[in-house]
Amino acid sequence: MKKFLIYLSSFVILFLYFVLSVFILPSEFLMTDQLVPEPVFEATLSKTDIVLGDSFRLDIISENTGDYADIHIVSIGFPTLSKLDDVVKIATYDFSLSPSYISVGEEIGSNYSGGVETTFAQYPSIEAISRPLKSNIETHFDVVITPKTSGVFNVYVKSIGIPHTSDVSHYPYSGTLDHQNEHVLVYSVTVNP
Amino acid sequence: MTILSLKSSENFLKNKSEFIFLIGSSLTSLGILLVTVGGSWDITNHLLSKPETFFSPPHAFMYSGVAVSLIGVILTFIGWKNLEKFKNSYFLSFKIKLIGIGLLTGAGPLDFIWHSYFGLDGLLSPPHFTLIIGMFFCSIGGMIGISRYLKFNNSQSISKYLLILAVIPVWLSASGIISSLSLPFSSTDFFEFNPEPTIAFIVASLAYPFLISLSLTLIFRLSNYQFGITSILGGLFLLIYSSTAIVPNLAMFDTVQFYSLNFIPFVIADIFLKLNRSKFSMFFIGGLLGSVFYMVYYPYVMYTYNEILLGKLVSPSLIYFVYFELIQTVLLYTLIPAVIMGVLGVIFSEKLAKRILMN
Repeated sequence: MKKFLIYLSSFVILFLYFVLSVFILPSEFLMTDQLVPEPVFEATLSKTDIVLGDSFRLDIISENTGDYADIHIVSIGFPTLSKLDDVVKIATYDFSLSPSYISVGEEIGSNYSGGVETTFAQYPSIEAISRPLKSNIETHFDVVITPKTSGVFNVYVKSIGIPHTSDVSHYPYSGTLDHQNEHVLVYSVTVNP
Repeated sequence: MTILSLKSSENFLKNKSEFIFLIGSSLTSLGILLVTVGGSWDITNHLLSKPETFFSPPHAFMYSGVAVSLIGVILTFIGWKNLEKFKNSYFLSFKIKLIGIGLLTGAGPLDFIWHSYFGLDGLLSPPHFTLIIGMFFCSIGGMIGISRYLKFNNSQSISKYLLILAVIPVWLSASGIISSLSLPFSSTDFFEFNPEPTIAFIVASLAYPFLISLSLTLIFRLSNYQFGITSILGGLFLLIYSSTAIVPNLAMFDTVQFYSLNFIPFVIADIFLKLNRSKFSMFFIGGLLGSVFYMVYYPYVMYTYNEILLGKLVSPSLIYFVYFELIQTVLLYTLIPAVIMGVLGVIFSEKLAKRILMN
């Protein structure tokens, strides 16, 4: 009888264990709020009109105004270039990871999927990455650019927070789409011959 | 005077040789335990991108573990060389440890060369795999040494708890081998060592349940059916895993309560083993222990299943969301094979215990 009671109570406890572990606790945890990072940035061009051979500077101050971000990315793209060569030089950089240089033809993430959906780079870009980034911490990414051809020189800038759990987890929220089908702010400088 | 002292130290070595062998085996196992704890903690730090220097706490665990194991193997050799009885019986333990420590210490320079040529490496790389295999061999050698000592000396129940130190490093290092062959943490700029997702799925679904069942029923057999030892081993595994893989990630801290529930099947298995050791009862326990593998290997096992079932980007704060999103689907696919592998673990533990104890 004692043995039977031990078996019975053991099976009841096992049943409760499986119900709790597989059904109840997972539902509870899935109902908790996910973190929503909100990256923003302010970019400043030193000049909007230069003579061929001169340089201009793009200073970017980015911040995560939302929840703690596992990853905070600021990307600068150069749609008028096919190679970065010595056109772009990093002047200031205080992100936690080294900058990542992306070349034309490289497979890259798209649609804010963090690499789950991919595409191929049509122009070079540089990604500044901090892992993680707490709320309200500023990061700096400044570049000096010396265009080699005259005309309008465009620079695409965007920032993404991961986990990308909301439409505010990227900045800008709308506007021009880049080769990754992600929104960018466009900064233009006229390069005179 | 000098001759006398030499003779007395020779006598001491001869009299205490078996005990020195036990100390050597215990230190080898303890060293591997430190390496595995440091390794698991280091993986978590890498996932969280915590700043890494050579002098980080996980590295301190790992390198001191290698040193302790090395001392253990040296003591094993001193003990074995001076043995007057059971010399042949202890040779297997010494031989396996020697191979293990050779691989373990050889992996260090290999890793340095690899890093020099190819930069950062992932979880699975030739030097890392050499290291893990070395750890596995050392822990197996330590387990055989400790188990045989306890058997030959008819040890009392209290000293049987030394078997926990013998088996836990085997369980943890074997888990490391399975993780290396199933987790998608091995893609680098130079090499794509990530396992193929379907193969990784199969490896994890079969090997983890087998290993849990094997480890917990093996210690029960090696201890001559000591009640409580299975629960302690299982509890210690959960404690090590939670403190190295869950607690360091603040986003997952609340899930410790979920993880601690896994102590229940271990205790129930222990109770059932106490009540009934028939074949059917043993198979039931093996199946039960195999079936809980997805919960016991929380959270990293999720990465293997995510690759094939969801394909989501999993950043550190999303780990438990994706894990819990997958739990029912994974169990649906893996429950039956996991139960079968758990039963196979019981069968294999019987054969292995006989070989270890030379019955």
